[in-house]
Amino acid sequence: MKKIKLQDAVGTKLAHDITEVRPGQFKGPAFRKDHVVCDEDLCHLQRLGKNHLYILEMAEDEYHENQAAAILAGAIAGDGVLWKDEPREGKINLFAGRDGLVRVDTAALAAFNMVDDVMCATLHNHTLVKEGELVAGTRAIPLVVKKAVIERAAAIARQNGPLLSIQPLHSVKVGLIITGNEVYHGVIEDRFVPILTRKVEALGSSVHCVDFAPDNAEEISRVIRGQLQKQCDLLLLSGGMSVDPDDVTRHGIRLAGAGEFHYGAAVLPGAMFLVAYLGDVPLLGVPACGLYHRTTVLDLVLPRVLAGERIGKKDLAFLGHGGLCRDCKPCTFPQCGFGKGN
Amino acid sequence: MKPFRELLISSAREHGHLCPGQVVGVRMAMLGCRLIGLDEPTSHEQIKKLLVFIEMDRCTADAVAHVTGVKLGRRSLKFVDYGIMAATFVHLQTQKAFRILSTEEARDLVPFYAPDVQGNPGQQLEAYQRMPDSVLFRVQEVQVPLTPYDLPGPTSRKIACERCGQVIRDHREVEVDGVTLCKPCANGSYFKDPRETTWENMNWSPSMDEPGEDRVSRKIRQSRELPQIGIPHRKGSEEGIQRAALERAANVV
Repeated sequence: MKKIKLQDAVGTKLAHDITEVRPGQFKGPAFRKDHVVCDEDLCHLQRLGKNHLYILEMAEDEYHENQAAAILAGAIAGDGVLWKDEPREGKINLFAGRDGLVRVDTAALAAFNMVDDVMCATLHNHTLVKEGELVAGTRAIPLVVKKAVIERAAAIARQNGPLLSIQPLHSVKVGLIITGNEVYHGVIEDRFVPILTRKVEALGSSVHCVDFAPDNAEEISRVIRGQLQKQCDLLLLSGGMSVDPDDVTRHGIRLAGAGEFHYGAAVLPGAMFLVAYLGDVPLLGVPACGLYHRTTVLDLVLPRVLAGERIGKKDLAFLGHGGLCRDCKPCTFPQCGFGKGN
Repeated sequence: MKPFRELLISSAREHGHLCPGQVVGVRMAMLGCRLIGLDEPTSHEQIKKLLVFIEMDRCTADAVAHVTGVKLGRRSLKFVDYGIMAATFVHLQTQKAFRILSTEEARDLVPFYAPDVQGNPGQQLEAYQRMPDSVLFRVQEVQVPLTPYDLPGPTSRKIACERCGQVIRDHREVEVDGVTLCKPCANGSYFKDPRETTWENMNWSPSMDEPGEDRVSRKIRQSRELPQIGIPHRKGSEEGIQRAALERAANVV
């Protein structure tokens, strides 16, 4: 590319968008690519710190940053991700094309970003987003970049299918099983049903059954099987998740025939969380901290389950990084680091 | 070509151990052969079509040589001591050549590709098998100028160094101010202070009875009527009778 002095640039086309930043007021393109520089522009360009401009002269094996951004965005965007070929300042933004969970292939993203001269920044994997929300941005770093570099980066982005997608949450029939002698026999009033119902409905599903069970493994097991017969797609069990002799909910889940069973999660609050599967039906054991804390492990796992993810030991373990809630007053979840570490 | 796992197992056996370098080398060789259009490089039909330049003397080099079947002594393997994790695969008929470089960032990406595996080399071994070629390697299409003296086949040129007299093959001599020299004489060498010397059992040859035994040692052994093993003799000849006596003596001993 050729560099010319600003005063010699009148009549030439700009090689790229020129950014203006007015702190607290504006950041964006003051001039767009291909704008023909005129005398009146020189003063403004000087105020932006431009004493020289580039004349675009590209080799056959090179892409302009705008072309590169479009190729990269096309490789990155998977199901449910929308973008427009309208780069601004060389960057293309990607948006959620539907409500759902952001899914990022973090290995592919890391490998992509290790390629010199390209970048992509995304929201955290498993972030809940609404349609239209910004979820990622990508660009080439230099103004002009070798085609082979962009094409390799695009191939890396596509290594397991596009690295970014939005997984919709399914609307399912949820069964609630509230365990505990004190609630079953009316000694205390249950408060779990309204809490869990709110969480389920906020994610687009509905409560289909509500049952109460005493601290008795056989009884709990019977209630579980009863809710499955009523075609519940997902069961939430509260109470009886801790270590007391009366905490038998997990035994009831085993008795019911759960094939896959993971007790314990690397999250605080919510370490006594349980994930089990009866066939393909997930059972989530919600510990009592859900009565006290606004946000717990359930808020991290439930959206993933509703998005169709099968949660296993590895998933519960990897929640550890970022799994400590700071118990902020007021709580700003999900606009915080809780659950964002993996 | 055989499946990756089969190649990895045989390569590791030949190399002496399974290590991440073996995974990288086997994959490098598979990719290189694929790019130049050879699917059975060790087969009779393809072995003479391939030349490989290896730029490092590390585990990966052994794996590349094993998968491709190239050998130093057959002139199909060229070692270029750059210390770079790269190899160039040349199709001698089509002249297509691709230089494949192992990326350094692959090492940094290991935890992303095998987060469920703890410790090295296990995590690296697993990650290098999960990473796609696009992450593990960069590829350059290159031209590799070759002369007839670089190709497999019998020696076609020999000339003596005008300083030390050593014969140099394959046009590896250098001309310095019109004088033909070998490379050590011209450029220096990896060895220093060469001094001609003699050594123990200088006259040993494989045709002798026992390793390390020269003619003098054999005569001494024979004079002590010690047994000889496996030497044929003609029945009834004086020599044979003498030998038979010696063998009987050996059996008594």
